[in-house]
This record gives sequence, structure tokens and C-alpha cells, in this order.
Amino acid sequence: MAPAPNLKSADFYEVLGVARDASDAQITKAYRKLAQKHHPDKNLARKEQAEEEFKCIAEAYDVLHDPEKRKLYDRFGKEGLQGGVPEAGAAGMSPDQTNMFANLFGG
Amino acid sequence: MPDGADDGKKSYSMGIDLGTTYSCVGIFKDGEVQIIANDQGNRTTPSYVAWTDKERLLGDAAKNQVASNPTNTVFDAKRLIGRTFQDPIVQADLKLWPFRVVSDGSPDDKPLIEVMYQDVAKKFHPEEISSMILTKMKLTAEAFVGQRVRNAVITVPAYFNDSQRQATKDAGEIAGLNVLRIVNEPTAAAIAYGLDTKSKEKKTKSGEKETNILVFDMGGGTFDVSILTITDTVFEVKATAGDPHLGGEDFDNRMLSYCISEFRRKHKSDPTRNQRAIRRLRTQCERAKRQLSTQTSVTIEVDSLHEGQDFNLRLSRAKFEELCMDYFKKAMEPVSQCLGDSGLPKSQISDVVLVGGSTRIPKVQELISSFFNGKQLCKEINPDEAVAYGAAVQAAIVSGTGTEEVENMLLLDVAPLSLGIEMAGGMMQKLIERNSTIPTNKSQDFTTAEDYQDYVEIKVYEGERAMVKDNNYLGKFVLTGIPKTLRGVPKIKVTFNVDSNGILEVTAEDMKTHRKGEIQITNEKGRLSQRDIERMLQDAEAHKEEDDLARGEMMARESITVYMRRTRKALEDIDSEKILKRDRERLEKKMEEVDLWLDEHSNKATKEEFEAKQRELESAMNTIMLKINRSESDFWEQQAILPENEKTIEQGGYFLDSGLDIRDLIEDPD
Repeated sequence: MAPAPNLKSADFYEVLGVARDASDAQITKAYRKLAQKHHPDKNLARKEQAEEEFKCIAEAYDVLHDPEKRKLYDRFGKEGLQGGVPEAGAAGMSPDQTNMFANLFGG
Repeated sequence: MPDGADDGKKSYSMGIDLGTTYSCVGIFKDGEVQIIANDQGNRTTPSYVAWTDKERLLGDAAKNQVASNPTNTVFDAKRLIGRTFQDPIVQADLKLWPFRVVSDGSPDDKPLIEVMYQDVAKKFHPEEISSMILTKMKLTAEAFVGQRVRNAVITVPAYFNDSQRQATKDAGEIAGLNVLRIVNEPTAAAIAYGLDTKSKEKKTKSGEKETNILVFDMGGGTFDVSILTITDTVFEVKATAGDPHLGGEDFDNRMLSYCISEFRRKHKSDPTRNQRAIRRLRTQCERAKRQLSTQTSVTIEVDSLHEGQDFNLRLSRAKFEELCMDYFKKAMEPVSQCLGDSGLPKSQISDVVLVGGSTRIPKVQELISSFFNGKQLCKEINPDEAVAYGAAVQAAIVSGTGTEEVENMLLLDVAPLSLGIEMAGGMMQKLIERNSTIPTNKSQDFTTAEDYQDYVEIKVYEGERAMVKDNNYLGKFVLTGIPKTLRGVPKIKVTFNVDSNGILEVTAEDMKTHRKGEIQITNEKGRLSQRDIERMLQDAEAHKEEDDLARGEMMARESITVYMRRTRKALEDIDSEKILKRDRERLEKKMEEVDLWLDEHSNKATKEEFEAKQRELESAMNTIMLKINRSESDFWEQQAILPENEKTIEQGGYFLDSGLDIRDLIEDPD
């Protein structure tokens, strides 16, 4: 039997309250049940808090429902989902560097 | 019924389908959705606004006079909203519109619609035009429930981008509405479908039944495809795709161009610059297009179209299809993309739901059906009303004014486009992927690229391409006040938040100091400022008075016209012997005079002037009536059955409009 959902957990399985070997159908079912309970539209009196809760649930489901993302998450945790660490914003870029990248990626 | 709007006992929330060509309003009342007919008895209202010398017209009244007033009749605001003047789509549309559109000249390059009203050129933002249409829909709803309605859910095409959504929400605010939610049109239609199916299938409480449907929504100006998974109470959008500039109007335009070229060929003259001719021809093209959904050929006829020449053309359905085939085929691309994004095979789609007027076109149906290997399409729901229906349900859900069944429903919608920022080399770094369930947020840490840099500029884009230059620029956010230090040391967490309306908000926090206040975000999304909105809201309120005034005048004009008609009829009916020749002549002369006066003044006169004229007529008429009454001994006996009240003579009572009791003037009939 899977543990009870824990929205405060850093672990996506624990957020949805499903076992690590849960099937996709089980994950989806858990997600829908939690969405019904925590979605801001279902909690008109405490919308903002509910919105944060729902976002946690949706994020966990987004990862665990997608076979690729789930595999990455299982191996490397949340770090594995970040596609490399981005550099600073465009500020400070020199024009030739821009061109170089543009050429590299074929525009 | 209590005036619930203010005492909180019973207030209504409406759902408005704000369409490119037609709009529709629904309200959840007494446990069900009512689609509301307007004052003309129509359940959809043309999204038209017009200015005559005298007044502003909305809806049917505006559309009905378009041929005689083409340059001051505005439509298609939805094709302008949230776009810049230089947008290639706007530039292309410009050539087809009879009204003038100019740039506001600011760096934002917002388009403005220019009309002449009482000899003064007036400019309006597309948001203002849309707000006028929303006001019309609001009045329609208010007339139905008999109280003020402020809360509204407004629908937009699912594929509308951030600026278009924001601008639509602004339009709602300018109309004085409390916009509860911006909802995607195909999602709203799916609600209508879901409730309809549920009510038909006797609810079998046998576990979770899951259905996947594809909504194909092609209206007057926009096109969406959405795939949803529906269980008993959850409506979950899996993927959405579309074209925010594809619909019935594009087909009308194709037909119109064809008709113009035919006219040119036959008559060697070009009606292109004759606005009135083009408008008349367009109206006939639209009508022909509709007829071709049920007939295989039609004749398009316009008498004396241009330079005295009539227009007459036989058009077959096959020719119409040939003219628009590239559009029809183009519509299949989003279907295929949406299916791919949803991860579902075609065979898993159990129903294809058709929404929007353009899905009546047989060729469109044929193409979708064959895409799904000859599948039977679902035409159960009303394609013109389904969106407003669903919006009304969503309004009831988010305002908590629905039935238990409705309030148990949950809608999970998605963001249609990926949102990201420009990275080194002009690459797009996506923070939020398209088809992410909303509301959602994603954060990213930023640092500086140079020593002692105290600001970072973040350019935000939406779209799917790898390079930002190929995507849509939304605006930039500048973070200032970063503590000066060596490059790479500051750590600023930027959070993208997409709310339930699909609208992006950005927040930033300096992770070293944890003081959010340190970082200022300059929002340059090119939207209307709060001050703009407030000014427009005030303008709209001023307009309301103008409109009310016009309404008062219209009533007075109507009243005198009706009185004239009745008097004429009465004169015919009354035995001529009973009227003195002198009195009859006096009345006839008066009527002639009023007739002439109306011809000349009916567009300029004030309410008071109309009423004064009517009183003149009444006094001439009353002289006759009094004399007749005096000679007819049974008059009072006939009237005696009427209750003693304050009815005027016209209504069968004893009072003149001035309040004078006519019985005081006559001697006792006995």
C-alpha cells in the first residue's frame, strides 16, 4: 500500500503518495484525486494556498507521467531534470559571440 | 428576487463567448445554463460597433447599417487585439477593412481604430471596441436576470498568446466587468459536450470511465484544436494547437476576391475602391458560403453593384472548395500536431467534437473525418452556443454558484505556447513547456556576466523554435538594484508564473539577500497600463450616458411615430360626419407638419423636442376627441367599465399627458 500523499515532500512519489514502482494508471489516478482536492477552483476560500499546493501536485505528475522524465528523475533526482545550468542573461554578450552561436545552430 | 449583486445573497456570473464575428452569452440559472437572446431575439450578437451622426450602435443594429456606413462600422477587433500595428497579419487585414487603422506612434506600436463621430475623428484601442461588445452582452444578460451582472468568464481561442489574453482581460475591465477567468474556447465547448453526454448516458457508477475527445473549433476568425481526457468529473486538456487567424472570414475574403475579379472581367471596371459595393458584395458572399453548406450551388446577386452594373454569379460548392482548399488543408496541420503532443494514437480518440460556424462546411467535415479514417463526427452540440454554454458553467464553478453536479467538475487547462528567455547566442531557453497544466510556475537562477554589473536584462519570448528571433517577443524584464560585486557572484532567482488565465507574471528574488524588494522588474509587455485602463473605463462610463441619452431620444422618437400612426388610423375610422371639417383640417395640417419635421430632425432632435411635438399633435387630436365624446351619449357608459386610474386617453383613460383630467373639461354628458 502506498503512503499517504505529502505535498511538502521534496520527493515526487511522496507528493502524490504512490509507490516508486507505481504504474502510470496509479499515478494518474492519484494525481486526479489530489487535483480535485487541492485545485484553487475547488478551494475558493483559500485560493492562493491551494494554488501552491496544486502546482506541487502538477509538477510531480508532469515528471512521473512522462516516461523519459521519470527515468531521469529515478536515476538523478531533480538535478537530472535540469537541462544543464544556464549562463547569465543576454546582458554582456558580445556581437561576434552571438553570430558564432547563430551559425552553430543554423539560425 | 433580491438585488443580489450587492447584498451577496444571489448574484449571477455569466459566460461570454467573445467571437471575431459573433458573440454569445450564457448564464447559469435555476440549475441549468440559459443561452440568452438579445433585444432582437437573437441568441448570437454580431461583434460590431458603429458610429452614426447621432449615436453609437452595438450588435445587430451596427451590422444592419454597415452597407450605408462602412467606414464607421468596426468589426474584427479580435483580429487586432494584442497585436502590434506592424504585425504582418494586421498589415494584411488592413487592406480588407473599410474602417481606418493607424499606429499609436508609441514604441509599443499599438494599433488604433479611427472613426468619425459627430465630425470629430475618434480613435479606439481594440480593447475598447471589444469592451463595447462585452457591454452589449452584459446588458443582454442583465435584461434576462433582471439585475446587475458584473462577474464574467470570457473565452479566448486556446491558441491566443499572452498579449492577446491580457488584452482580452483588459477589455473586460474596461467594460466594468469583474473578469473571473479567461477560459479557452475548445475547453469550454468540451464542458458543453461532457455535460450533454453525461445527461444522455444514464450515469453508471461503475468506476472511472475515461474518454479522450478532440475538439475542432473553427469560428469566424480563429481556429483551435484541443484534446481532452474526460473522466466523471475531471476535464483534463492534454494538448492544444491552432491558428489564431483562420476562420470563416478568410473564406469570405477568398470568395470576395473571386467575385471582384469576375466583375472586372465582365464589366471592365474595378469596384475595389467602392467601399459600399465591397461591403454589399461581402455580405452576399457570406450568405452564399452558408448556403453552400446545404446546397450544391448558389447564385450571388447584387443589383447595381458598381457604376450601375448588376452583379450576378453562379457559384458551385466545388468552386468554393477549390477557392478555400489551402485553408482547409492548413487546418489539418494543428490536428496532427495536437495529436502528436497528446501522445495518443488516433484510435484512442473516441469522439471528434465540432464547434464554431465554419465546421458546418461539408469539405471541412470530410477532411477531418478522413483524417480519422472515416470516423463519424460528433455534431450533437450547438456549434454556435457550446462555447458560451461551457463558459457559463465555468463561471458557476469559479464563483461557487452552480449545482452540486457542476461544482464537482474540475477543469485542468494548459498553456498553449512555450515560454522562455533569450540565452547566450540568441538561443531560447524554455522555462515553461507548451501544454503544461496551468496554473504553473518555474524558476531559474541568474547571475551577472560582468564585474560590478548591477542589473540584468531578461528578454521573454513565447514559441517553439530554437532561436528567439523565430519566436514571438513578449517584452523584457529588467532587474535592477543587484548588489555590485564580481561577475557570477550574485544569484537572482527569477520565477515565471502562468496563472489560471494562461497569463504570465514574472517575479524575481535576490537569493543572497533574500530581499524581493531589492529587485525591480520593469514590465514592458506592451500592454495597456493600469492608467490607460482606468481612463478607458471612464470613457466607457461617459459613453454609457450618451447611450442612455440616445436611448431616451429613440424612445421619444418611437413614441411620436407610433402616435402618428394611430392618429391616422383613428381619423380613418371615425365617422367623418362626427368631425368638424375645420378640426380635421387642423389635425391633418398638424400631422403633415410633424411629418416634415421628423424627416428633417429625427436624427438630431432631443427627447424634449420629440415630446413637445407629440404634445402639439395630442392637443389637436384631443379637441376632436372631446367633441366626438360630447356628441356621443354612450361614450361614458362604454368607458365606465374601466377602472378609475391614471390611464391617458390613448390608453383608454381620462388623462392628457399633461396630467389634466379631461372630465373636468366636459360638461356632464347627462
